Amino acid sequence: MSSFDPQKITKIHRHLHSHLPPEPALRVKAMESLLVEKGLVNPDAVDAWIEAYTEDIGPKRGAQVVARAWLDADFRARLLNDAGAAVAEMGLQGQATGHLKAVENSCDVHNLVVCTLCSCYPFGILGMAPAWYKAAEYRARAVRDPRGVLTEFGVDLSDDVAVKVWDSTAELRYMVVPERPAGTEGWDSDALAKLVTRNSMIGTDRDLSGGETNGRRS
Amino acid sequence: MDGVHDLGGKEGFGRINRSHEDKPFHGDHDARAYGLSVSLRAERPYPIDWFRHVRELIDPVDYLTRPYFDSWLQTSLALAIDKGALTLEEVTGHKSPGPIPDNAKPLTREDVHKIVVTPPCFEQSTDTPAAFRVGETVVTAARGHSGHTRLPAYVRNAKGVIHAHRGAHPLPDAEARGEQIAEHLYTVEFRAADVFEEVANNDLIYLDLWESYLATA
Repeated sequence: MSSFDPQKITKIHRHLHSHLPPEPALRVKAMESLLVEKGLVNPDAVDAWIEAYTEDIGPKRGAQVVARAWLDADFRARLLNDAGAAVAEMGLQGQATGHLKAVENSCDVHNLVVCTLCSCYPFGILGMAPAWYKAAEYRARAVRDPRGVLTEFGVDLSDDVAVKVWDSTAELRYMVVPERPAGTEGWDSDALAKLVTRNSMIGTDRDLSGGETNGRRS
Repeated sequence: MDGVHDLGGKEGFGRINRSHEDKPFHGDHDARAYGLSVSLRAERPYPIDWFRHVRELIDPVDYLTRPYFDSWLQTSLALAIDKGALTLEEVTGHKSPGPIPDNAKPLTREDVHKIVVTPPCFEQSTDTPAAFRVGETVVTAARGHSGHTRLPAYVRNAKGVIHAHRGAHPLPDAEARGEQIAEHLYTVEFRAADVFEEVANNDLIYLDLWESYLATA
C-alpha cells in the first residue's frame, strides 16, 4: 500500500540523494542492475519503451494529422471537436491522446502550449517533449511573457495577433494546428506533412512557408 | 504545495536552452532512466497525481538541476520504496537485494507495445450537476494548501470565464491523499492582463481547473 504520506516521501528522497551515486549515468546504471536483479524490471521492457519513442512515436504522427486537417475540411472539424477520436480514426491513438484537444492558429490567433506544474505533453502524438519544453525557463516564462519566448524562437508576432497560452493542468493534452502556408495548393498529404515542424504543433514555430527550419521537421 | 515545481510566471529565468531539441533523449543514460522509471511504475500502477506529488517532493535544488528523467527515476524508486517493493537499504547498496516480491509481474516487451497504443480515459461519472456554465465568470481560490494541487499559484484569486466543461475527472488534491473524488473539470479563460500586473495586451491564458478551485465571481 502506498502511504500517501508526504513526510515519509521527503525522508526517502533525502536518503536517495545522500546515498546514490551523484553522477546521473552511474546512478541509472546502479539502479538498473538492482531493479533487474530484484525482478522488478525486465530489461526488454526498458528497451521496448525506448524503441517506441525513438523509432515509432514522434512528431511525424502529429504532422500527418495536421496535413489531413489542411486537406479535408470534415476531418478538420472532427479534429477540433474531439482530437482524441480524430487521431484514433487514423490509427494514431496512444498514451495521452485520450483527452487530446487541437487548437487552431489563424491570421489573428497564435496558440502556445505549456505545462507550468510539471511537463504534460501530448507525447502519444508528438513523441517525447523536447528538453526545453521540460525546462524551468520555458515553464516559468511561457505564461508570463509568451511574446518574449516566441521572439527567442524566431516568431515575431504583430500586436494584432492575439496569443492564447494553454497551460496543461489536467489530463487534457493540447496540440496546435498551424496555418497552412500559401502556395501549397495541390500538394498531397505527404508533401504537406513534411512542412509541419514539431515546434509548430507546440506553438513555438508559426510560419511554415519559408525554407528556414525552426525546430525539427518531421 | 508551494514548491519550486509551481513555476508558472516565476521571474528571473533566462533564455531557453534549445540544445538537444531534436533528440527524444539526452543520450543513453537519459533513455535508460526513462525506460526504468516507466517500467517500474507501470508494473505497480500509482495514481498519476500521487506520482506527480512524489516528484514535487524532491529536494528543490535537485528538482531544478538534475536531468528530467533522473527525477522520474527517483520518483519511481521512492514510490516503490514507500509501497514496500524495495527497501532503502537495497537501493543504497547497504544490503544485497532480497527475494523478488511475491506479486511482482515485471512488464514484458508485449505489455509495453500494448500500453503505448492505448489511451487511458480519466473521465468519470458523477451524479452531482456541474456548478458552472460556459460563459460564466468565476474566481479562483485565493490560497493554496500544502498538499498536491493543480491550481498554479500564478492564477490564485483571479477572475476568469468558463470556456468549456470537460466532464468529471478525479480531483488531484484527493488522489494524492489516496482518495477518489470525481469532480467537474472546466477549461477557464483568463486575461493575461488580469493575472500579471505588467501585461497590457489582450493575450489569453487557459487552464483546466476543478470545480472546488472555483467560486462564482
